[in-house]
Amino acid sequence: MDLTQPPGENYANPRTCFFHVLFKAAALAFYILSALFIDNFVIIFVVTVLLAALDFWVVKNVSGRILVGLRWWNEINDLGESVWKFESLEQESLARLNKKDSWLFWWTLYLTAVAWVVLGIFSLIRFQADYCLIIGVCLTLSVANIIGFTKCRKDAKKQIQKFASQTIANRVSSTIQSAFSVV
Amino acid sequence: MSHSDTIPLHASSQSDIDEIENLINASVQSAPATVLPARPPSPPRIPVSSSPFIQSNLPPLPPSAQKPSSVPSVPAAPPPPPGNSHSNIGVSGFGSPPNTLTEPVWDTVKRDLSRIVSNLKLVVFPNPYREDPGKALRDWDLWGPFFFIVFLGLTLSWSASVKKSEVFAVAFALLAAGAVILTLNVLLLGGHIIFFQSLSLLGYCLFPLDVGALICMLKDNVIVKVVVVCVTLFWSSWAAYPFMSSAVNPRRKALALYPVFLMYVSVGFLIIAID
Repeated sequence: MDLTQPPGENYANPRTCFFHVLFKAAALAFYILSALFIDNFVIIFVVTVLLAALDFWVVKNVSGRILVGLRWWNEINDLGESVWKFESLEQESLARLNKKDSWLFWWTLYLTAVAWVVLGIFSLIRFQADYCLIIGVCLTLSVANIIGFTKCRKDAKKQIQKFASQTIANRVSSTIQSAFSVV
Repeated sequence: MSHSDTIPLHASSQSDIDEIENLINASVQSAPATVLPARPPSPPRIPVSSSPFIQSNLPPLPPSAQKPSSVPSVPAAPPPPPGNSHSNIGVSGFGSPPNTLTEPVWDTVKRDLSRIVSNLKLVVFPNPYREDPGKALRDWDLWGPFFFIVFLGLTLSWSASVKKSEVFAVAFALLAAGAVILTLNVLLLGGHIIFFQSLSLLGYCLFPLDVGALICMLKDNVIVKVVVVCVTLFWSSWAAYPFMSSAVNPRRKALALYPVFLMYVSVGFLIIAID
């Protein structure tokens, strides 16, 4: 991301944005078009789910970090408990992120999930249980990413507030200390 | 770009202004985040996730200011460059931030693949860590199980002469729903197991059945099929045994293990019965 270019005019990371959208669109397009042309359910299933899984990986590991500076994962600590970890950039970097990038990121995330739900409704109406299976898997992957990143963003805001209030508290106490030392 | 090691911890001895300055400098230096090498993961990587979910899988990112507690991690100082370690799992990743920060996508992919292989070895083959399930599948990931389930479905579907799509759908749904239900079973019996870890485990235990299904697809003799299926069935059950049994109360071991065995038996029947 360049500091020289005024943010909001162009996408700062066009290639990342492209890949972010590519796999989502490919999965949806393949699913919709293949039902018209391909008669083999197995191929439709495998390719669609594969594209959806690739998209999940790309969003989670690459575009989440580059476009919005967020990252989430799960760890198992020494006690054997599962811990969800969230990570985000600092406030200055967050503020400097390209607005268009993050707009694209969040909107495509939500729109994809909605699109899968709509397609799922169509399958339900037609009583095609096996296509509902594909929809189920793709929807699970989309929703998992949405939940993960939303939690991560909330956590980032909390961290920023905590950091800010800590900084203010530290400044105040050090000011008071220096005031007393002068006196 | 390995300036992450120059970023100081949030030490209380340092004044706030210095701290903020350092952070600003750090983020300014790393702000021109390099666009990723635009190479999508070539093998169907599949990750939460791992969630997977998971991941799914992966040593956590950087950062210096991380406290070893279960509180959600402190915001990272430098923006993580592209292709950085795929999240998930990997408590051991804390130690070397500079190495993972600048790795390209291909390295991440390789690391994830190697994680799948190591998980497979831990679960399916004999090794000294088997008795301690908490440690054995610490780096759970859902990509391996995904591969194995799809592969099993494809093999069964290929072997079937009629109704290929139904066979695939049934196999996939059976295995996926079966894994979820078996995990719920353990949880409801009062066992201590982590949901995704257990899903991951049950998925990896399908590997012997995958091998069996492949052999059955290639050799069409009934007797060979029965023998192969029995062998792989016992192998799968043996693989799943320590993890499931140690998760529950000893008096309820059979209650937890019996459904697992039942599921593998039904998959075995599917393999034999397909012609």
